[in-house]
Amino acid sequence: MTLIDFPAPSAGSQFDDLRREVRDFLAREMADHTPQMRARSWNGYDRDFSRKIAEMGWVGMTLPKEYGGHGRSPLERYVVMEEMLAAGAPVAAHWIADRQSAPLILAKGTEAQKRQILPRIAAGTCSFCIGMSEPDSGSDLAATRTTATPENGGFRVNGTKLWTTYAHEADYMILFCRTGKSEDRHGGMSQFLVDLKHTDGITINPVIDMAGEHHFNEVIFDNVLLDGDALVGTMGGGWDQVMSELAFERSGPERFLSSFALIEQMIVLVRQNPTEQQEIEIGRLAAHLMVLRRMSRSVAGLLDRGENPLLQATIVKDLGAIYEQDVPRLARSLLSGPARPGSRDSYNAVLAQTVLSVPSFSLRGGTREILRGIIARGLGLR
Amino acid sequence: MDSIIADMAGRVFSDHVTHLTRSQAAAGIWPTSLWQEIEQAGLPLALVPEGAGGFGVGVGDALSIVRIAGAHGLPVPLAETMLANWLQAQAGLPVSLGPQSVTDGSGLSLRATDDGWSVSGQIEAVPWGRNADRIVTLVPHEGKNMVVALPAERLAFDVAYNLAGEPRDSAAAYLALRADQVGQVALPADTLTLMGALLRSLLMAGALETVMTLCVTYAGDRVQFGRPIGKFQAIQQYLATMAGEVAAARAAADMVADGFDATPSRHLVAAAKLRAGEAGQIVAALAHQVHGAIGFTDEHSLHHFTKRLWSWRDEFGTERDWSRALGKAALKGGPAGSDDSFWSFVTATSAKGVAA
Repeated sequence: MTLIDFPAPSAGSQFDDLRREVRDFLAREMADHTPQMRARSWNGYDRDFSRKIAEMGWVGMTLPKEYGGHGRSPLERYVVMEEMLAAGAPVAAHWIADRQSAPLILAKGTEAQKRQILPRIAAGTCSFCIGMSEPDSGSDLAATRTTATPENGGFRVNGTKLWTTYAHEADYMILFCRTGKSEDRHGGMSQFLVDLKHTDGITINPVIDMAGEHHFNEVIFDNVLLDGDALVGTMGGGWDQVMSELAFERSGPERFLSSFALIEQMIVLVRQNPTEQQEIEIGRLAAHLMVLRRMSRSVAGLLDRGENPLLQATIVKDLGAIYEQDVPRLARSLLSGPARPGSRDSYNAVLAQTVLSVPSFSLRGGTREILRGIIARGLGLR
Repeated sequence: MDSIIADMAGRVFSDHVTHLTRSQAAAGIWPTSLWQEIEQAGLPLALVPEGAGGFGVGVGDALSIVRIAGAHGLPVPLAETMLANWLQAQAGLPVSLGPQSVTDGSGLSLRATDDGWSVSGQIEAVPWGRNADRIVTLVPHEGKNMVVALPAERLAFDVAYNLAGEPRDSAAAYLALRADQVGQVALPADTLTLMGALLRSLLMAGALETVMTLCVTYAGDRVQFGRPIGKFQAIQQYLATMAGEVAAARAAADMVADGFDATPSRHLVAAAKLRAGEAGQIVAALAHQVHGAIGFTDEHSLHHFTKRLWSWRDEFGTERDWSRALGKAALKGGPAGSDDSFWSFVTATSAKGVAA
C-alpha cells in the first residue's frame, strides 16, 4: 500500500513582493467593503472588480503569454488567490474560468478555442460556469442524461443541468454530457464549450438557496444546436477530462478559507483581552490553517509538475470543509453574540451569513461521502 | 522519497524490531542487539554536524530517521539520543553512540565550583533514564543557557512508565560535574522543549502511518457477511478520515523539518505537535473501531502504536499547551513590518526558514 504523499512545496515559493503588491492593491480597492460583503467570500460577483484584477495581471496568470496570459507559476497564482480569499474579494466573475476552464481549454481545446477564449479569460472579461450536475445526477456523475447527438457536423443538445453556479451571469458553460450509449458508464461522455449569451434554446431559471441568495440555476437545453467546433477535447473523453479538472477544483485555498471573514471578526472581539480558552482555540485555528496551506500548496506544486494529484486534492477538500464548517460552532463557543442577519454589528451579521453558508461546503465540488470514497479507492479498498 | 541513511535506518528497524521486541521492551527487557545495530549504523550521531563528530547528514534526512523510528514503534531512545548529541555538539561537549536521554531542566539549578560545576534538583519522567549513559538537559544559569550532561550511573532512578510501557524514570540529581559535562549554548531556553516536541511530532507521524497500514491490511483481510469489511462504506469512510489525518500530521511535521534553520521555528513546532496530537486522537480511536476485538488484545500489534500515540501527545507539551502558545502569538498578529492581522501571522509563520 502506498501512503498518500504530499511533497514539500517548491523552495522559494513565498513570493513576498507579489504578496505585498496584492495586499496593497486590495487594501486600496476594497477600502469600502464591509465585513458582510467580505463574508460572501468567493461568491461575490463583480465583473468590474475581476477586470481590475486582470489589469494587474492576476487572472490567467499561468496561461502562456501567446494566449494573453502571464506565464507565471501555479505557486505565484496561489499567492494571489489566497490573498483575494483572505480579504473576501469578490472574485466569482473570474474564479471558475481562471481555476478550471482555462486549464481545460489550454490542455484539451483546439487552437481556435484557445485563441478565442483564453485572452478574454486573462482579461477578466469572460465568465464561466460548469454544467455537470443534473436533477438525477448529483454525486453520481455517470448518471448524466443530457445528450449531445451529432447532426450535420454539429451537435443537438437536450437535457437539464442543475445547481449551475452563476449560469445566469456567465458567458460560457463547459457542458458535460452524454455522446455515447448510456450502458457505457464512463465512456461516451464529452465536454462542450457553450456560448450562453448567443445560443438559442437555452433557458436559465434561478434556484434560490436557503440563505435567500441566487447562485444556483437550472439550465434547460431544448433542442439546442451547437457547432461542431464546440467540442472540447475528444469525443468520449469527457470523463477523463473532468477527472483531471477535479484536482484544480478541489485543492485550492477556497476549500478552507470560505469562513475566514468570521475568523477575522472573532479575532477583533477576542484579541484585546483573550481568555485562556480563546487563546487555545485561536491557536488551533492557526495551526490547522498552517497545515492546510502547506498541503494545498503542495498540490499546487504537483500540478505545476504536470501530475494529476486528484487524491491529494480530495484530502485537502475533505479536511478543508471540516475546518471551514467548524468555524461557526467555534465562534459560538467563544463568544455569546447571536447570529443576526443584516445586523449593524459586524460579528453578528457575519456569523449569520456563515451559519447559513456552511452546509454547502461539504456538498459543492463533491460531497464529503464521494470524496471519502475516492480516498478509500486510493487506499486500495475499492 | 527517503535518503540512503533513512533507507538504512528502515532496514535496521525492520530486521530487529518485532511485536515481540516491543512487548519485551514494555516488560523491561532492553533490546541489546537492536541498539548495537543502531550504533553500527551511526544513527545516534545523525543530527550532529560534521565538524562536531557527525557525518554530514542533512537535517531533513536526520529527522526522517525519527519518523521511521516512530513507524516501527522503536523501543529504544534513539530520538532522545540524537537530540542529546545535538545539544552536546552545540555546547562543544563530547558526543557518543551509547543510549542517552533528554529531560526538562527547569527543576535543576547549577552552581560553578572551583573545579567544575554542582547541579541540584529533580528530573522527572526521563525517557529510558535507567538505560541511558547520560541525561542531557538545558539549565539557565546567570542569564545564559547551559547544556548539562548528567552521568546516569550516578543517579538513582525511581522507575515509571508511560502508557506504552516506555520507561519514564525520575531521580534526584545532586552531583558534582566536571567542566566537560557542562557547556554554554547560544540557544533559547525553550530549545529542548521545541526539539523534543518536534521529535515527538515526527514519531507520531510515523506511528500514524503504521496504524493506517495495519487498518487497511486488516480491512482487506477480515471477512464478515461474506466480504472483506473494507468493502463496507462505513469502514471506507473511517479509513478515508484516517488517511486525511495521517497526511495532515505528516505534512505538519515535514513543515517544521523543512523550516528548520539552526533551530526549529517555535510556531511551526506548536502547529505540528498539536496537529499530530489531534490526528492521534482520531486515528487511534478509529483504528480500534476498525480492528474490533482482536485490536484490543495484547497479542495484536496495534496497541503498541496506539499507546505510543496516546503517550507521545502528552510529552513535550500537549495539544492544549501548544494551542495556547500559538494562540497568544497569533492574537498579537504578524511579524514586525507587516500589519497585525491573523492572516499576516499565518502566512509569515508558514514561510520556509522562518525561526520565529
